[in-house]
Amino acid sequence: MSDLDRAIAQLRACRLIPESQVRELCYKARELLIEEGNVVCVDAPVTVCGDIHGQFHDLMELFRVGGDVPDTNYLFMGDFVDRGFYSLESFLLLLCLKVRYPDRITLIRGNHESRQITTVYGFYDECIRKYGSANVWRYCCEVFDYLALGALVLGASAELEPTGPVYNDTALSTNDDNELETEVLNSKGDVTMSTYRPRQRTSLDNGSVSPTRDQVPLRTGAPGTGASGSGAGSYGSRTGAVLCVHGGLSPLIDTVDKIRLIDRKQEVPHEGAMCDLLWSDPDEIDGWGLSPRGAGFLFGADIVKQFNYKNDLSLIARAHQLVMEGYKEMFDGGIVTVWSAPNYCYRCGNVAAILELGEDASNGGTVTRSNGDYGRSNGILSSAVDKPPLRSPGRRYRVFEAAAQDTRGMPAKKPVADYFL
Amino acid sequence: MASDVQPPSDRKRVKVYELKENDWFDRGTGFCTGRILDDEPRIFVESEDKPIRILLETKISKDGGYQKQQDTLIVWTEPNQTDMALSFQEAEGCAVIWNFVNSVQQHLLTLAAADDALSDDLERIQPVVLPAAELANLPEIDHLMRAASITQAGRDALSKCVIRDEYIHKLLPLVTVAEDLESLTDLHRLCNIMKSLILLNDTTIIETVVTDPIILGVVGALEYDPEFPTHKANHRQYLSDKSRYKEVVPIRDATIRRKIRYTWRLQYLKDVVLARILDDPTFSVLNSMIFYNQVDIVNHIQSDGLFLKELFSVFDPRSADAKRKEDAVQFLHQCASIAKNLQVPERATLFGNLISHGLFAVIAFAIKHPNPAIRTTGIDILVALLDHDPIMMRSYMLKAVNEKKTPLTDTLIDLLHTEVDLGVKNQLTDAIKVLLDPQVPLQAAMTRAGPENAAKMRTNILSDAFVQNHFDESSKRLFAPLKRLENQSSPNLTFQDVALYSHLVDILTFFVRQHLYRCRNVIQNERLAAYVTQLLRVPQKHLKLTALKFFRTLLSLQDTFYQALMTHNDTFGLILDIVYETMPRDNLLNSACLELFEFIKREHIKPITLHVVGKYGDKLRDITYVDTFQGLILHYEQLQGYSEEADSTLYSQEEETPNLKVPPSGRWQGVKEMDPAEEEYFNTSDDEDEWQQDNRTGATLISQIPNGAASPAVKSLVDYPDDDEEDSDAMDTKVEPVVPQRGGQKQEGVSADDTPISAAEDSPSTPVQPARSPPERLSEKRRREEEDDDELVKLTSGPKRRSSTSGSTGTAGLLRKKRSGSIGSVSIIDKGAAQTGTASVNAAPKRIAINLSSSVKAADNQGSPDTATVNTTGENEKENQNHGGPRES
Repeated sequence: MSDLDRAIAQLRACRLIPESQVRELCYKARELLIEEGNVVCVDAPVTVCGDIHGQFHDLMELFRVGGDVPDTNYLFMGDFVDRGFYSLESFLLLLCLKVRYPDRITLIRGNHESRQITTVYGFYDECIRKYGSANVWRYCCEVFDYLALGALVLGASAELEPTGPVYNDTALSTNDDNELETEVLNSKGDVTMSTYRPRQRTSLDNGSVSPTRDQVPLRTGAPGTGASGSGAGSYGSRTGAVLCVHGGLSPLIDTVDKIRLIDRKQEVPHEGAMCDLLWSDPDEIDGWGLSPRGAGFLFGADIVKQFNYKNDLSLIARAHQLVMEGYKEMFDGGIVTVWSAPNYCYRCGNVAAILELGEDASNGGTVTRSNGDYGRSNGILSSAVDKPPLRSPGRRYRVFEAAAQDTRGMPAKKPVADYFL
Repeated sequence: MASDVQPPSDRKRVKVYELKENDWFDRGTGFCTGRILDDEPRIFVESEDKPIRILLETKISKDGGYQKQQDTLIVWTEPNQTDMALSFQEAEGCAVIWNFVNSVQQHLLTLAAADDALSDDLERIQPVVLPAAELANLPEIDHLMRAASITQAGRDALSKCVIRDEYIHKLLPLVTVAEDLESLTDLHRLCNIMKSLILLNDTTIIETVVTDPIILGVVGALEYDPEFPTHKANHRQYLSDKSRYKEVVPIRDATIRRKIRYTWRLQYLKDVVLARILDDPTFSVLNSMIFYNQVDIVNHIQSDGLFLKELFSVFDPRSADAKRKEDAVQFLHQCASIAKNLQVPERATLFGNLISHGLFAVIAFAIKHPNPAIRTTGIDILVALLDHDPIMMRSYMLKAVNEKKTPLTDTLIDLLHTEVDLGVKNQLTDAIKVLLDPQVPLQAAMTRAGPENAAKMRTNILSDAFVQNHFDESSKRLFAPLKRLENQSSPNLTFQDVALYSHLVDILTFFVRQHLYRCRNVIQNERLAAYVTQLLRVPQKHLKLTALKFFRTLLSLQDTFYQALMTHNDTFGLILDIVYETMPRDNLLNSACLELFEFIKREHIKPITLHVVGKYGDKLRDITYVDTFQGLILHYEQLQGYSEEADSTLYSQEEETPNLKVPPSGRWQGVKEMDPAEEEYFNTSDDEDEWQQDNRTGATLISQIPNGAASPAVKSLVDYPDDDEEDSDAMDTKVEPVVPQRGGQKQEGVSADDTPISAAEDSPSTPVQPARSPPERLSEKRRREEEDDDELVKLTSGPKRRSSTSGSTGTAGLLRKKRSGSIGSVSIIDKGAAQTGTASVNAAPKRIAINLSSSVKAADNQGSPDTATVNTTGENEKENQNHGGPRES
């Protein structure tokens, strides 16, 4: 068993590793992260997770529900620390896993991965409390500066393989023209909801970028009755890439390639593209709006639509906002918020979710999206060209609740060891 | 009504006050009576001088929050939200009126309750009566408490009842009984009851809870949390462990000893027992109780000369008790941490007291201690002092230099060079940055200290030449290790070397950014840039990145001296090598390089473009995976090919050079030698920016200025602003010439094309996007920020500077900045403005970088960020950063 594996085992048991090991771990992580682009390319299948916020036991629950590392590939969209009482254990475990399985786990930066924010919302205090000095906090903050700003999930499958027992058997069999688009599972693996869309066979679709969707709550009649007609033919059903970012879009960024031109190794600025990516929120508005958070912007459906179209994206996955149901799709499925901290702050009463994107095996894993390794897309130039509509990837949400008590004990901060005053 | 309540007939002498803008405004003196008019109970005050004049006539309502204070005061809020007060001459008079008010209210409440049986007000007239504290009654007690906790009135009534009946005392025996009976249900109920009691948020209750006979019973009950039925905490075990309290020097005052213990318990309650369930009000009540206790404790300690003497005598070199010395360091560290929360004057007194007793000797002892943890603690204390008052610290240090003693800086620098613990090294870096930071001018210290202190300060003020000399000497010493890179084409660095170099380059970057001119001597004389260039070749990528950051910072300063430095060494060749090594892979190094060239392209930095394309043209042409380099080449070709035409836009030259700045001082006399090639670069004209094209006519006008005057290279060498940041430089030069032509638009600050410009200035890392879709919002946002929080603007004026601030000022500094709300609190701006008046000259250009319209106004508002922050520390500790710092999710 290597030191790293030992550290992982120890952290999984919610026990901290010594300061010297943290330092070493952070240096190793730095070497790894420096090789990552501002936007990391990740191949499906991958499970996308939102905010963790130091809720270590719930992170364990997440791994239980979503599958353990390295069996499942994970992409965490930031906000590992603050608020919860186990920021250190959570972040260090994720970092250990990153160093141990670099290709299996992707970490991108959230707005809480910042010196300023962590000094206010708990991580700094936790480091002082648990290690007696700010050293570990410094090491971690150094790592924060190296974290990627976003990720592109490539080669996600458009259609989901149905999970487990299909209750509305008849509905399915009579609807060969429909494919499973989204599925919601509870933590036991039971399907609680599915949505279907018409199988795409044509390019003669009436020009709408996103196919019609029909929501089918479980066991309620036949789905797809209102589906718009799709003709014959089989134009390549491309599944666009999925952009994962903690906050959202920036008015300064119109193509994904622009993100690559940021020198990300710095404290999260208070404005500018890097700040916006980590701070913005989607909202039911037109265009851009001021953010009540005081950093980043609000952006509307039109912005998302344009951005996705221009960048061959079919979906933006982001975190950053508490959603009581764990996930929330907006703008005709153009963007989704994934939140992975159940019972946030140990009192919000929300459930959490993770988003599974399956691998598209059908066309040999052809990647439609160019990135640094393949030669870049020529961004603006290509925007005039008519693009065939993209299909959004099949999305499987696993919803879970806070970890059972017997597995976690009472969450509490560590008291000071000694006091003089 | 009249039958129920008897109005007082006597006239009571009283003063009437009204709260206007936070001041109690005296409305006059008169005689107060209570009357019932038209079946409405009212309070009248007739003027003493003119009995006809009515000073006050108010209807007693059931709201209004009437309060009786200090026996002679009645305070309430009028329906129009005005706060009023009656100050009675006699307590007896007050009591009479108060009884009247009270009975009227009771009556009204009864009526209201009759109207609405569900009304919350019911509780007000039905004081809570708790059943006897017995196990059998626990369900009822629990239920009653929950019900009462729903409304504020209920909570008040419950608190009163609990305090009056000493109910907690009565409950405690039940914990033991229930434990003996192993009745988990009862224990869970007791836990719930305790939670409810604490969350009543009543100071008296919480104070009672932490007292000696009570605490163990209370936390004992809290060990059985029904939310975690299978768990039991061990709070009692922790809290009864007496060994946790380390008494370095006995504190004689029993009250203070008790306070220390209670404070510790409060902290434990806050952090451990109640951490999950605390609501915001209770959290802040706990915090402020802790705070006030700490103030008392610290005040006691520093006023006890005997104690301090004994404390510092622990460090007597003749004493061999090493453990006790370590504990004493920890003790002082805790004092320093508490001090961070104190108000500035109190903190100053505390530190002054500690220093006079020999705190520096303790720091010196600690930072040389063999145990890294103690070294860390020692530097922490130092950083607390530095954060508190860097000027004071610097003057101590300069005094030492003046007296030919070894200054603290030298000690720290030597330590940094030899320190092997990387955590300590990190901290040392931060401390050195603050200690040597050449930015805070001593004059600012004088102004801040006020006229009476100015004289005192003056004795500390040493000539600028001396300060410069000290800076140069210290820097020379500090950066000496870089010289080891001499003649090493491919440096072979040890792990420790790498750590040291990255810290040194980091410090150097910080100095350059903080002050344009102060470190030029050093960079020039010690050939530092050449060494840093060497680091671009090392295999350690993060070190490369650090070196790259240094050059990126130099570039952003848009300063001819630094530009010349970069073109002399093969800097860009090496940076291009990195691009080649990494491309087309997408990684951090690659992005950082691209961002650097993107910046040159975007800012049209002519001399650099000419140098880079001229010297490395072929290399550039081969990089095609991004269009940055093509853009540079294009720019170059324009510079070469269209020089005739470009003459007409000569003024755009001024854009590149800071020749419009007001020279605040002539301390730096410029670079001695100037490369002829460089000279030529500056005399060649520039092409125009997109956004300037519509100003062609105006530009032409300006370009009529005789060429001699527009020889910006020469001029810029003398004109150094005193207080610069990279962004302001760029902005200044870029914007000033434009203002006359576009004044109207600029003033408004909402013009669509303003935005991309300022956005670009503020964040060099983002590409300029002229006429992007959301422009007004951007500028709107900016304006908004200016209006309410200048500090935020200051912090945001450049990612580079900020990252250094945060990365460098040290944890304590950060904490302070964040906690004190200095990112955006209005009060800070006021204070900053008041206290840093003299610094405003320096600040003007910086403001321009942010908003073109308000530079004049801004000049009054902005001090140097450091001074402003330092000054305001503490006064605002209590404010969180609601004011403008980004709210997190």
